[in-house]
Amino acid sequence: MLEIKNLHARIADEREILKGVDLAVAPGEVHAIMGPNGSGKSTLAGVLAGRAGYEVTQGSVTYLGRDLLALSPDERAREGIFLAFQYPVEIPGVNNMYFLRAALNAVRRARGEPELDAGQFLKSVRAKLKLLEISDDLLQRGVNVGFSGGEKKRNEIFQMAMLEPKLALLDETDSGLDIDALRTVANGINRLRAPERAMVVITHYQRLLDYVEPDRVHVLSDGRIAKSGDKTLAAELEKSGYAVFDAA
Amino acid sequence: MTVVKAETAPYFEAFRARPHDAEEPRWLAARREAALLRFGELGFPTRRQEAWRFTNLRPLQGTNFAPATGIAAVAPAVVEALRLSDATHRLVFVNGRFAPELSLLSVVPAGAWLATARRTLDERPELLEAAVDDSDTAGAQPFASLNAAFFADGFVLALEPGVVLDRPVQIVHVGRAATPAQAAHVRNLVLLREGSRATVIENFTGEGAYWSNSVTALSLGERAALRRIKVQDDGRDAIHFAVDRVTLGDDTRYESFVLTLGARLARHDTLALIAGERAHCAVHGAYLLRGEQEATNATAIDHAASHGTTREVWMGVVDDRAHGVFLGRIAVRPAGQKTDAEQLNRNVLLSPRATVDTKPELEILADDVKCSHGATVGDLDENALFYLRTRGISEADARRMLIDAFTAEAIATVEDVGLRDYLAAHVQRWLSQDGDARREGVS
Repeated sequence: MLEIKNLHARIADEREILKGVDLAVAPGEVHAIMGPNGSGKSTLAGVLAGRAGYEVTQGSVTYLGRDLLALSPDERAREGIFLAFQYPVEIPGVNNMYFLRAALNAVRRARGEPELDAGQFLKSVRAKLKLLEISDDLLQRGVNVGFSGGEKKRNEIFQMAMLEPKLALLDETDSGLDIDALRTVANGINRLRAPERAMVVITHYQRLLDYVEPDRVHVLSDGRIAKSGDKTLAAELEKSGYAVFDAA
Repeated sequence: MTVVKAETAPYFEAFRARPHDAEEPRWLAARREAALLRFGELGFPTRRQEAWRFTNLRPLQGTNFAPATGIAAVAPAVVEALRLSDATHRLVFVNGRFAPELSLLSVVPAGAWLATARRTLDERPELLEAAVDDSDTAGAQPFASLNAAFFADGFVLALEPGVVLDRPVQIVHVGRAATPAQAAHVRNLVLLREGSRATVIENFTGEGAYWSNSVTALSLGERAALRRIKVQDDGRDAIHFAVDRVTLGDDTRYESFVLTLGARLARHDTLALIAGERAHCAVHGAYLLRGEQEATNATAIDHAASHGTTREVWMGVVDDRAHGVFLGRIAVRPAGQKTDAEQLNRNVLLSPRATVDTKPELEILADDVKCSHGATVGDLDENALFYLRTRGISEADARRMLIDAFTAEAIATVEDVGLRDYLAAHVQRWLSQDGDARREGVS
């Protein structure tokens, strides 16, 4: 589904941050990318989602057989890629429901599906909220405006549930969460695991992986995948820390 | 001896050439002459004058605008499109002349007077005396003076003490180009006596090159309350000038919102005198400009009595090579103790060639006051744009959502939900038309 080959990227004209990332993700798989601060985790998420300010200098990213890097951020989303933000953006004046319906209908149009009217949309919203066990108090507010850290992350997972992506990138979704919020978010992620859906979970800590069991774990260090393994690699890292990779 | 500026000469000729109106009261004829002379003395403003330094008057000075003479045919659909769901009274003016066939005049409650300026002059001439005064014959607003000399008609709303108009009054001004170019000078009056209340919506719309020049005197007696909405959507080749002169008595509430969308050159001046204690003066607005449009919104609030409040929120959206100007003056005289004034002007530029000038000006001569102001000019939030796009929303739609949300912040100051929706619908229509740059595929 996703194939990253020898990916090099830098910020504007500055130093290179990704120095040859290789990664292949198949449908239904959950991959965890772990690594210390500054290893390039957020850059990787940004490049995959199409954030401005990054320059890919070498390598390729293929998604469902297409050159992902040639697509705009909104085209990527309409093709089924979803990025859960590390820092979800507050957008005053844009109602969360209105925003979500616009997004869902944009994605549905791209899939050749009919748009949902207000009633159908509301029904779908209710079903997803129930599935994720989250309350509806976020819906009528401005997008992420005045949300707590936990509410913002829950809103990201809720959006993911509504948009039903083929490939979800979760950028440090566990950061800044207390244990209850972490459980809710992890629970949501688990319920959205599906045979046709791949997930890439980017995280600094192992604790999210106590709840979301990955198929593969990769260690990103100094812009490269330094080690890959199964879920036991995460536990190993918890014990030994990232220092061993810095030394390598 | 007064010296008349050369560039005003064509207007003196036009004044002498206009048909004589034998019915006109002598006081008005005298004031018209004095006002014309005042215009002659003042001449066209120049950029050396502080209040006009950001305004390019070339579109106005390049043409002699003769006073509009006759009415042009206007399809009823033009007016219907602006319909406010619950407006019961509607006066329509075409090129500054009353168009009865497009208007809806239902019965007004006892103690209310709603009529054209012309009819008021015939039946209640004393009312109109309040609409033409020293500010025309000795003031510093040249185009208001010119208006006093030439106005043919306008609307008058006068409410006796305690009279409440439940439903809004809608005034629609339609402009149509003519050859040679014409100016519609309209003179309006809103006179609310003690404890009376009203809502007035004014629309400006039109096609072609014309000059719409209106002056409105608004006077609120003790405890009176006026809600005023103006939607200026004049034709893109038109020139639009308007001056509001507001006088607020004790415990009055004045709440206005000016939405500026149209005209190639536009200016709206709000001059408010807080003459009574505990008056509330809310003067809000938004301007959305594109192409080569230039629009100035100038407010001058004069706190001459204590415990007054001023609230101003102005949001500007400027695209292409358009130019937005906000001039916000608040003066607090020594008698204006306990004044509480807040002014905010925020702007987003949608194109690298769009410009905004914003100038707050506070002059405070009392020692126990609270006055704040803020002005910003920036771009649309790139992070917010990216966030929306990562959810599948196209860049164009994401921009529209953010502009809509930005403007909504100003519209939120309007209390009535129906009026808010009415304003929002006009913004939506603006958003549905792309800027010149994006229409041509250059960004």
